[in-house]
Amino acid sequence: MSLRQTYFEIFGLKPAFALDRAALADRYRELQREFHPDKYAAKSDREQLLAMQYAAQINEAHNTLRDPVLRAAYLLKLAGVEVSPEQTTADAEFLMQQMLLRERLEEVPSEADPAAALDELGEEVRGLYADEQRHFAEVFAAGDLEAGKDSLLKLQFLIKLQRQVEELEEDLLD
Amino acid sequence: MALLQISEPGQTPEPHQRKRAVGIDLGTTNSLVATVRSGSAEAIAAEDGSVILPSAVHYAENAITVGATARHRAGEDPYNTLLSVKRLMGRGIADVKSFGDQLPYKFAQSGSGESADSGMPAIETVAGPVNPVQVSAEILKELARRGREALGGELDGAVITVPAYFDDAQRQATKDAAQLAGLKVLRLLNEPTAAAVAYGLDQGEEGTEAGDKIVAVYDLGGGTFDISILRLSRGVFEVLSTGGDTALGGDDFDRAIAGWMAEQAGLGTDLDVATQRALLDSACAAKESLAEREQVALSHGNWRGTIDRAAMAELLDPLIDKTLRACKRALRDAELSVDDVQEVVLVGGSTRTLRVRERVERFFGRAPHADIDPDQVVAIGAALQADVLVGNKSRDDLLLLDVIPLSLGIETMGGLTEKLIARNTTIPVSKAQEFTTFKDGQTAMAIHVVQGERELVKDCRSLARFELRGIPPMVAGAAHIRVTFQVDADGLLSVSAMEKSSGVSADITVKPSYGLQDKDISRMLQESYAHAEEDIAARALREAQVEAERVLESLLAALQENGAELLDESELNELERAMEGLRLAHNGGDAEEIRKRIEKLNDLSEPFAARRMDVSIKRAMQGHTLDEFDND
Repeated sequence: MSLRQTYFEIFGLKPAFALDRAALADRYRELQREFHPDKYAAKSDREQLLAMQYAAQINEAHNTLRDPVLRAAYLLKLAGVEVSPEQTTADAEFLMQQMLLRERLEEVPSEADPAAALDELGEEVRGLYADEQRHFAEVFAAGDLEAGKDSLLKLQFLIKLQRQVEELEEDLLD
Repeated sequence: MALLQISEPGQTPEPHQRKRAVGIDLGTTNSLVATVRSGSAEAIAAEDGSVILPSAVHYAENAITVGATARHRAGEDPYNTLLSVKRLMGRGIADVKSFGDQLPYKFAQSGSGESADSGMPAIETVAGPVNPVQVSAEILKELARRGREALGGELDGAVITVPAYFDDAQRQATKDAAQLAGLKVLRLLNEPTAAAVAYGLDQGEEGTEAGDKIVAVYDLGGGTFDISILRLSRGVFEVLSTGGDTALGGDDFDRAIAGWMAEQAGLGTDLDVATQRALLDSACAAKESLAEREQVALSHGNWRGTIDRAAMAELLDPLIDKTLRACKRALRDAELSVDDVQEVVLVGGSTRTLRVRERVERFFGRAPHADIDPDQVVAIGAALQADVLVGNKSRDDLLLLDVIPLSLGIETMGGLTEKLIARNTTIPVSKAQEFTTFKDGQTAMAIHVVQGERELVKDCRSLARFELRGIPPMVAGAAHIRVTFQVDADGLLSVSAMEKSSGVSADITVKPSYGLQDKDISRMLQESYAHAEEDIAARALREAQVEAERVLESLLAALQENGAELLDESELNELERAMEGLRLAHNGGDAEEIRKRIEKLNDLSEPFAARRMDVSIKRAMQGHTLDEFDND
């Protein structure tokens, strides 16, 4: 039964980190056209309920696959590796770098030109995030799940930092 | 093939017969109903030719009147004439107090009997306490009556519009009102989305990822202003942000002009009600005629004067400025600039005012869509969607994917919210969360669901408290209770729970913070029938019959499509017997029996429905192979 399919199977994609976003978006619309509850509005209550469960599953699959961090975590989960929220990377150099980046973020408002300072920092964080995604794709494709897990933990750090940069960008706009 | 010989059920309509579907704009000041006839959507007029139904309900001891007649009673009988109840939908007593003297009603802490703990305000009238859901139901009943008259029979379904920012409680209250009015709700649709559908903005060429279309819907009614920023991306309608002012509208325009007249005529500020009314009426008339003329003559008593477009603009501009500031804020919330907006849609009667159009056009730098009557555009969009949903029109290209307007979360330790479903997540959606017990032998637990973006529970809106019972007694932390929160396509939440190790499903009691429980609704249904002297049994029978027809028709079509390939002979025979049973019950007069037969047929056909879904999945996948996506 299809509710037990993996998210990749639902979208007809092979389970890899690299992903054709356009294909994902196309398949998403095709599936919603088929299963959105609106298509079952005139059908029996039972069919409506079933359609809603399918559509919810499709939405959840779509949300997971299009987000790099969720996608990486899902791939590891399929491979039997669970990452709990309390875990953190043991890479001391990475943690030190994170600390320095965070300090810079805190100092942004007191810089002479906060907007420029934030732009520069944001650029750097986005670059690190993209690099780490490439790294995850490589190690996961090579079947190194331990390295994959460590990479996911780093991705979680970086996305959190990137969100904080974005929040500060908003604050500075006001 | 046996299944093709199935006879048509007794009173089941022909599969190709048009269904009767309507779109309803349930507004704060005015409401209206529209439908699609001969391929185009139009508003349905009452017997006197009027299309707009003022959202006013007057309660006398033994009679309820709705619409213009009711509104005229507002002056002489303010406490029994209920206006603007939409503002109270899904709201609690505390919210009502914050409206201050905007609503001059006598509020009781609660309605009679069991709704006492529903937290929903009840308004005292000579006919007894009534709650906002009941008042809205009266308006919906009148609109449904118009629909039935125009379409010549019972309605098969309705799409009802709600403001995009409506939270779960407000949406649920709207749906409850429809249920009370005996309407089958096909979908609750966001008002700005409906307006965009009316203009066919969803039918543009398929955009690319970079080619999203940004639409601003500027909705200025009599007493409220709403601005919504939507993104249309590949057939997906997404509400990016909303804003507005719940106490700003065309009525304020009239007051500004009337105030100017009083000043010019030297009337002073302490005017009696009749004078105020007369001034407001002339002000409103002057405002409307200035859309066609450069200037109009005014008079009051012995005073004679004129007002031209420039003078009016001067009076209205401060008010219009307020709406444009809200537009700026909404754009900023959506992280967009005014240049990103590609389409502007005008909604609401007050957008007829010439000055409003000029200023909106100048602000957005483009001419707004205004060809469709701005009072009717929302109902018309709803009617178009209703026509598709009820099955009259197959529109594979129309897909309205809505998002949840506010995040859903649960209360955790220390009064903090933990977000489960983030705002702007496409619905329907479901999220499961695991909980455990913290005491040995604990068999129950409470979950508090809130909606909002803030971190503290007290800053969010309380939606409901769920109580899980029947958890098998275990040592603390051993029970794993999986609670599933599901938000359907209307944005409404439901919750289910199961203890994982034992497989026991926990009982859930829902206590909506500002809503009605099912038992409240059935009680109110009883009461309303007593009022309307309508036979409740006849109504229940008719509703059961309609549902039976729907189930039979849908199953028959499914069987004809792929019954032969998906069912073996014994399954087919069993289904046919159950269908025949339901058909017989349908022609008999026992609503309870029909319900039982429907339930049985639904159970029997469930595996068939699941297999059909699988076939649909396979069909949707056809032409796609894994290789196709192997190009990374």
